[in-house]
Amino acid sequence: MSPTKNVLNYSYYPGCSLHASGKEYDESARALFKMLKIGLQEVPDWFCCGATPAHNVDELLSLALCAKNLELANAVEGDLAVACAACFSRLKTTQHKLGENEVKRRQVEQAIDGKVILEKPVKHLLEILARDFGLENLRGTVKKPLTGLKIATYYGCLLTRPPEVPQLDCVEAPTIMERVVETTGAESVPWSHRMECCGANFTLSRPGVVLKLTGDILASAKRAGADCLVVACPLCHGNLDIRQKEIEEVTGEEYRMPVFYITQLLALACGVSPGKLGFGSMIVNPVPLLKEKNLL
Amino acid sequence: MKNIKNTKMELSQETMNVGFIKKVEALSGSSVRRCFQCGKCSAGCPMRSFMDHPPNRIVRLIQLGQWERVLAGRSIWYCASCETCSTRCPNKVDLAAIMDALRKLSWDADGPSKESYVQLANKLFINNIKQYGRQYEMRLAAVFNVKSGQFLKDLMLGPKLISKGKLKMFHSKNKNLAEIEKIFSRIEEMRKNGDAP
Repeated sequence: MSPTKNVLNYSYYPGCSLHASGKEYDESARALFKMLKIGLQEVPDWFCCGATPAHNVDELLSLALCAKNLELANAVEGDLAVACAACFSRLKTTQHKLGENEVKRRQVEQAIDGKVILEKPVKHLLEILARDFGLENLRGTVKKPLTGLKIATYYGCLLTRPPEVPQLDCVEAPTIMERVVETTGAESVPWSHRMECCGANFTLSRPGVVLKLTGDILASAKRAGADCLVVACPLCHGNLDIRQKEIEEVTGEEYRMPVFYITQLLALACGVSPGKLGFGSMIVNPVPLLKEKNLL
Repeated sequence: MKNIKNTKMELSQETMNVGFIKKVEALSGSSVRRCFQCGKCSAGCPMRSFMDHPPNRIVRLIQLGQWERVLAGRSIWYCASCETCSTRCPNKVDLAAIMDALRKLSWDADGPSKESYVQLANKLFINNIKQYGRQYEMRLAAVFNVKSGQFLKDLMLGPKLISKGKLKMFHSKNKNLAEIEKIFSRIEEMRKNGDAP
């Protein structure tokens, strides 16, 4: 079945980062979905899911914030599309935990003064592209193959872990991102650190942690011969892209490795104008690499 | 708080604090007692080298009633919630959830731990939700630097991110702010009445 007029429609939860440090993820996701004729309607006045800090110290608050967001999302038609891996994990964890635990569910219902929406499917953009839209259809929409581009696909933590929650792919050896990337004609390199933690929100409190963990990830991607990295989470992106120069200064290594959001590369391959993909917002400039590979 | 790091550990029926173990188990929804110290959690932990006690030892210390060492240490605040431990535990001990429970216990006791930066970041993050409904990274970073006394931290990064349009200078209030405030006050009320942990 080839999609004609918005066959697929989703409600959309971008998350806080996509309105600021991860804005090129938001821009490119919208541009890609428009090109693929997939409807995306942003949930009006959604609020922060609480991310790691809330569940770190206050589980009830974290579950209540997510439950309220699910209630807001339920007013918009379609499964809930989530871009950020952390928001995705929190929203799905909430459904998973409250579906299993009657006591916690009652507490959350009291806190939000409403019913917890357990039935609304929460999906990561990656899942929508690979499963709902389908790899074959993706391959069919490629106009400008990204031939010659060697990509290190980076999953990070929350797209796959813990196994009961995201259920995106195999928990220790996922391939969903590689399969999506390869529809564009690009090559994904085998490498060691694709599921290691980048240090996430320690970037604010203890940046030293991020320099070490993200530094190891960059070193591994370089060893594998990758030209660039691809991610599906604004926090991973922030650490790999924004902190990359600092890591180069600390370690004395030279990486200059652009970090793309998966939506940027797919959109580029599908023929979306590069001007709409936020390449100018990236700290490590991707233009020289894309020009070298004749992709711009 | 007295220095308990190097004191001798004494074990007896009295020192094994089953009450504390049960509290952690109730909060986390995971067994603490099922752990048999295979060490798989620590082997895969990316934050292990930043911790004073590795993850498996955290569980062992709690099993042995030495919870004060755990709450006073840095380890619980250096857990990144990456979920590797919970994913790989052969006994289905949900260590990531246990870490959440331990942080909550430490947090509610007003943080006896010396790791103040992570706690400060958490506090500011949650305050942002209460005040604005969403995170504004610029405000978060600026207030963090002022409150932690690190005025020069990431000084060069700010202007660069602003020039890339990555930090919003101004922001509007969320229309659902009243709802969020209600969630916070309801939870407070529930806790006062003993209806929620």
